[in-house]
Amino acid sequence: MAKKILTVDDDPDIIAFVKTVLEENGYAPIIARNGEAGLAMVRQEKPALVILDVLMPKQSGIRMYREMRYDEELKNIPVVVLSGIAKRTFLRSQEALTEFGDQPVPEPDAYIEKPVEPEELAEVIKKFVS
Amino acid sequence: MNEKKLLLVDDEEAIVRVLSISLKSDGYNVIPAHSGQEGLELFEKNIPPIVLTDIKMPGMDGLELLRRIKNTNPDTEVIVITGHGDMDSAIEALRYGASDFINKPVRDEALAIALKRAREKIAIRNQLTAYTNDLEHMCQIATEEVRRKSDFQDKLITSSNDGIVATDENGDIVTFNPGAEMIFGYSRLEVVRKMKFDDLYPEEIAEEFRSGFRRKRDMKGWGWKEVAILNKNGMKVPVRFSGTLLYEKDTVIGSVGFFQDLREIKRLQQELVNSERLAAIGQTVARLAHYIKNILTGLKGGTYIVNIGLDKNDEDKLRTGWSMVQRNIERVSYLVMDLLTYSKERDPDYQNCYPNDIAEDVCELMEGKATQNQISLIRDFDHAIGELCMDPDAIHRCLLNFVSNAIDACLFDLDLEKKWEVRVKTEYVNDSAVKFEVSDNGSGMTSEVKEKLFTAFFSTKGGKGTGLGLLVTQKLVHEHGGKIEVTSEPGRGSTFTMILPFRKNAK
Repeated sequence: MAKKILTVDDDPDIIAFVKTVLEENGYAPIIARNGEAGLAMVRQEKPALVILDVLMPKQSGIRMYREMRYDEELKNIPVVVLSGIAKRTFLRSQEALTEFGDQPVPEPDAYIEKPVEPEELAEVIKKFVS
Repeated sequence: MNEKKLLLVDDEEAIVRVLSISLKSDGYNVIPAHSGQEGLELFEKNIPPIVLTDIKMPGMDGLELLRRIKNTNPDTEVIVITGHGDMDSAIEALRYGASDFINKPVRDEALAIALKRAREKIAIRNQLTAYTNDLEHMCQIATEEVRRKSDFQDKLITSSNDGIVATDENGDIVTFNPGAEMIFGYSRLEVVRKMKFDDLYPEEIAEEFRSGFRRKRDMKGWGWKEVAILNKNGMKVPVRFSGTLLYEKDTVIGSVGFFQDLREIKRLQQELVNSERLAAIGQTVARLAHYIKNILTGLKGGTYIVNIGLDKNDEDKLRTGWSMVQRNIERVSYLVMDLLTYSKERDPDYQNCYPNDIAEDVCELMEGKATQNQISLIRDFDHAIGELCMDPDAIHRCLLNFVSNAIDACLFDLDLEKKWEVRVKTEYVNDSAVKFEVSDNGSGMTSEVKEKLFTAFFSTKGGKGTGLGLLVTQKLVHEHGGKIEVTSEPGRGSTFTMILPFRKNAK
């Protein structure tokens, strides 16, 4: 059975694109449009991997990433951040949250800055989902 | 004791003895002499301040002695003793400078009075000398002081960074300091006493000085103002100028002008403006690049999906991909339109139109996005608004921007319990204006965000906003002669209002 991969993004273009890439590579895409819905879906579906946008309404990818890493059941699910935001900006915001007293979290398993080529995305996913 | 020295000259020994006794008892230190010759020798040896001499003497007589003494020591008080009734000798003696004369036989009272007078004269003379010396000394001190002051002022003027140009009452330049040399490019020697202020000052200033000189009345100095002067090379030099006429009592005695070189400041200002502009351009370019990158992502994704659809003959994929391409092409065209509107002056294109219809069209356009996100779009149109002469395109774009922002504000709202709504309201204000109001109950704005609302390329929507929308809206509203108002409360929502005037005579 095809492995489930969750895409969390509020941009319909990105969703359509990532969904197609996933289907083309034999995965089963599932979709959430914000961090909150994403977190609920991760808990419910236990996907093999999460592709996560950073800037989204309701709950951002920054927060959703931390919630996943705090959760014993979810902390080992690989997360690939796919964002228009530079990696160092994302890491800095994570550090800032840590400084304000939150538990520190490891860096995401992979970080891809938009725009991304379909091949690149497929390759990164393959690293984590055999 | 010197003042009490007295030379007594008489050829009659008895008289010398008697007078000596009497004078000594009065406290005089009497130097007796028995001839004019001896008297002169003793005088030169002792220089007594007072000489009492008989006139009639063998050899050098009293008059000769008097003459000689007065010749060398004119301050000496010489009292002559004349024979009874010898008025001629007495007058002669006075002419030679004798201070007084007494007649023989010498009476003590007469002698005492003559001596007293002589002493008083000496005292007065001494005092006068002291005063004179004092005065000379004071005068020297004062001169020195004045010289120091003038030196000091010269140095002040010389070392001033400002250019200082002073003229006399005829307008001839008398002071031209190094600061002025720097600004005007002339040396002091070329200017002082050779030029008038008209030769240096720009006409507007020269004219004020001229009229000041003409009126010769009290004239207020000019506060600082910026002007440009022409220097020796014919180059314009920006300066700050201030000046005034100089008065002594009510008389004009000259004028002075102060010039501050603004070249360096202007250069720095220009540099600052340039660097700010560069920074702004840099920021603009970065934001635009980011926005365009997002569009590019959409286009690439769209073409990728289209390709797959073609490969697999999958019509579903073809439709999805193609609509992505179309949507992103639209985003590019909106961006370009916004940029053009933002950067170009544009006159409203007045046409007869139905503002409520425009609002309805905007609502229909945004209905899909609203419904998809559980946001109710409420229309609240004033039916008193009929056909009016306005710029329909401008209204459409402004309203579309408001409504699209309002929906985004609901999407960004963290309060998921809320039932979001966006209200689009039109209102016939009066016979010359219509009000459009778009309110939402979404996330609202903090005052910092509100302050930056109309700043170019400021966006709270991450990569999804150009940061141009409201700016363009504001520009369109202003060009239409209207005004734009915003109220907002974080967590409660925002209301954007624009009031647009319409033309009365619809063509």
